[in-house]
Amino acid sequence: MTDMSRLPTPEQASEAASGSVLSLRGISKHFPIRAGALQRVVGHVRAVDGVSFDIRPGETLGLVGESGCGKTTLGRLASGLLSPTSGGSYFNLDTAALSKLNAAYALPEDARAAALAPLEAAHGIATMPKAAQSRFRRNCQMVFQDSFSSLNPRHLVIDIVGRPLRVHKEASGEALTERVVELLEQVGLGRQHLYRYPHQFSGGQRQRISIARALALDPELIILDEPTSALDVSVQAQILNLLNDLQAERNLAYLFVTHDLSVVEHMADRIVTMYLGRVVEAGPTRTLFDAAAHPYTRALIAAKPDLAVDDPQVAKFAALDGSIPDPARPPRGCHFHTRCPVATPNCGWELDDIVRLLERSEDLFESLSDVSRHSDFAGELAFEDEGSAERLAQALRSDATPASMRSAMESLTVDGRTLRVRFQEVGEVQLSDRGPDHIAACVIKDA
Amino acid sequence: MANTNIEGAPIRRRQDSALRVRLRRGGELLGLILSNPTTVFGLILIFGMLGMALFAPWLTQANTPDPYQMPRDWGALRMPPGTPGHPLGTTNTGGDVLYGVIWGSRTSLQLSIVVVGVTVVIGTAIGSIAGMVGGKVDEILMRIVDVFLSIPELIFALAIAAILGPSFTNIILSLCLVFWVKYARIMRAQIILVKQNDYVDAARVIGDSRLNIYFRDILPNAATPLVVQATLDMGAIVLIGATLSFIGLSESGIAEWGVLVSEGQAGIASGRWWASTFPGLMIFLWALAFNLLGDGLRDALDPRTESRR
Repeated sequence: MTDMSRLPTPEQASEAASGSVLSLRGISKHFPIRAGALQRVVGHVRAVDGVSFDIRPGETLGLVGESGCGKTTLGRLASGLLSPTSGGSYFNLDTAALSKLNAAYALPEDARAAALAPLEAAHGIATMPKAAQSRFRRNCQMVFQDSFSSLNPRHLVIDIVGRPLRVHKEASGEALTERVVELLEQVGLGRQHLYRYPHQFSGGQRQRISIARALALDPELIILDEPTSALDVSVQAQILNLLNDLQAERNLAYLFVTHDLSVVEHMADRIVTMYLGRVVEAGPTRTLFDAAAHPYTRALIAAKPDLAVDDPQVAKFAALDGSIPDPARPPRGCHFHTRCPVATPNCGWELDDIVRLLERSEDLFESLSDVSRHSDFAGELAFEDEGSAERLAQALRSDATPASMRSAMESLTVDGRTLRVRFQEVGEVQLSDRGPDHIAACVIKDA
Repeated sequence: MANTNIEGAPIRRRQDSALRVRLRRGGELLGLILSNPTTVFGLILIFGMLGMALFAPWLTQANTPDPYQMPRDWGALRMPPGTPGHPLGTTNTGGDVLYGVIWGSRTSLQLSIVVVGVTVVIGTAIGSIAGMVGGKVDEILMRIVDVFLSIPELIFALAIAAILGPSFTNIILSLCLVFWVKYARIMRAQIILVKQNDYVDAARVIGDSRLNIYFRDILPNAATPLVVQATLDMGAIVLIGATLSFIGLSESGIAEWGVLVSEGQAGIASGRWWASTFPGLMIFLWALAFNLLGDGLRDALDPRTESRR
């Protein structure tokens, strides 16, 4: 799934003057779906599908999207907890190495391997030598959402926070205790908490312990997987401020994974929006909040509770209806077209959209006997009785069907019990430049 | 917070140390276990029988050369309880029932400790490998386990013991071959469950080795149900061992409760109840005691009660 066009263009690369802590290129994670007695693979859930971005030193990159869009999987890929199905992650690239990486990915696929080889050896997380891998482990830490489950209930705070130091043989005995106290004090806890079990703390305090553990090895990057979603609002603010303070003190980079737009507005320098495993938009926080190019990003921002919904422009996006489509069989064209309030005929309307419409009307769906596909865009629907095909055709020509979907149909004929339909064929929507450091994947170019 | 004064300032507690806190926690756990009267009753029974096993040579005149063989008093066959020198009576062949009861506790202890010890180790190892490695290895190991599980424990052990020939050692061996399966199943399920906790991922992100993660994070959090099951099985194994002895898969003449019940049962119809009843009662008490303790442990170690502390 490494797709050229989803990668930053050379102009964007040149803006990343200070290099990158972690660069993902065309990274994918597909989980097999198994079925039957023999557990054969019948398909793949594309949890993450060809994602590329850079995390620059000292910045906070917000990764947003609904539940199930693959952002947590991406966080785990970035931290090395999961290994990707394809694509690469590269650690600690200086400006020169980053532009080499971008140049390599600009090459056609067959020539790319040779250009990448030296970069893979020095920076590729899966391919670099052991010493470098250990350096990556120390420099890339993670804080999890569930502070109950992320601290071993049988370990004392001193063992939890001191463990990274023990593993990497940085301190032991008295020195270790002092280092742990220092770390606890940095996150607002203290010496009196050393010999306690996690269950003796509140949710916010436990998250502080998690943060102290992540800080122990003085990392350059911390991946924060919804670190505040499980906390009360007041405690949330304390933890976010703590994270901000720590970033200022230590020049930390954060990958902040969240579904909470207000948090990301407060925290992030740049935002990456994900939908169904792909990046649909990426850009500076201010740009996205003021002028998001992708309707999905606009919908997420409009869904923020504190915005005035009287504004008709906002209201249009505020209530996204429908659920996320099956990631094992993502929609054609733009993945978002099934729910998009401003969809056009060019957004990838397809046969599956008729099936989705049918699912909403029970009697029609029940009389559907067969769907034969010529392609994703053309095919025949056979019904058990005469009336259904005609009724569906009428529905498809009426206002009940989105106007953009109606215009996307090149032909629609009823032949007895079968309905023949053909949509215009549309390719995948690619990420394109929308301004400085701002990319989006939408067919509407001047939103 | 217990350790802050009214102004909220922390009170320094210099005496705190990891060892002290762990001891205190152990004490709390012990207190929780002992707060249940039936558990305490089970423990008293167990200690009583352990004492009996430990002091067997002082409580009776040990038979020579092998104290585990019943001494025969050919001048006092089928004597009722209360006979001088034989307070619990004698068997058909002049064996002292009291001697059998006391030395039988040693035999039972041997049986249950060896079988539980060996099977817990084997079961933990196999269950851990299946749960940790997963995939094909897991699949193969679990199908083997399924084969074992498809045959009832008692019948399987009986078949093996019969093939190996009648002896007490072979009973131990056959039970070892059968009982590990249950532990492998429990361990695998627990490991798969515990592995999903974020603290396991957290340890991986830190860069700790798989072995360390297994021993520090996974095993300690997965072991509780196994400990409970093992305790319950300390009783169950003596019961099954006695059954196998009863039907003649042990040497006759050894001081073992099942053998004694078996040898005495012929006399019950003629009113000589004592030769079977006393060893039978011991089997019952042994199984009861470990069941009570096992249940108590299950309640005390239950994570839902744990979080309340």
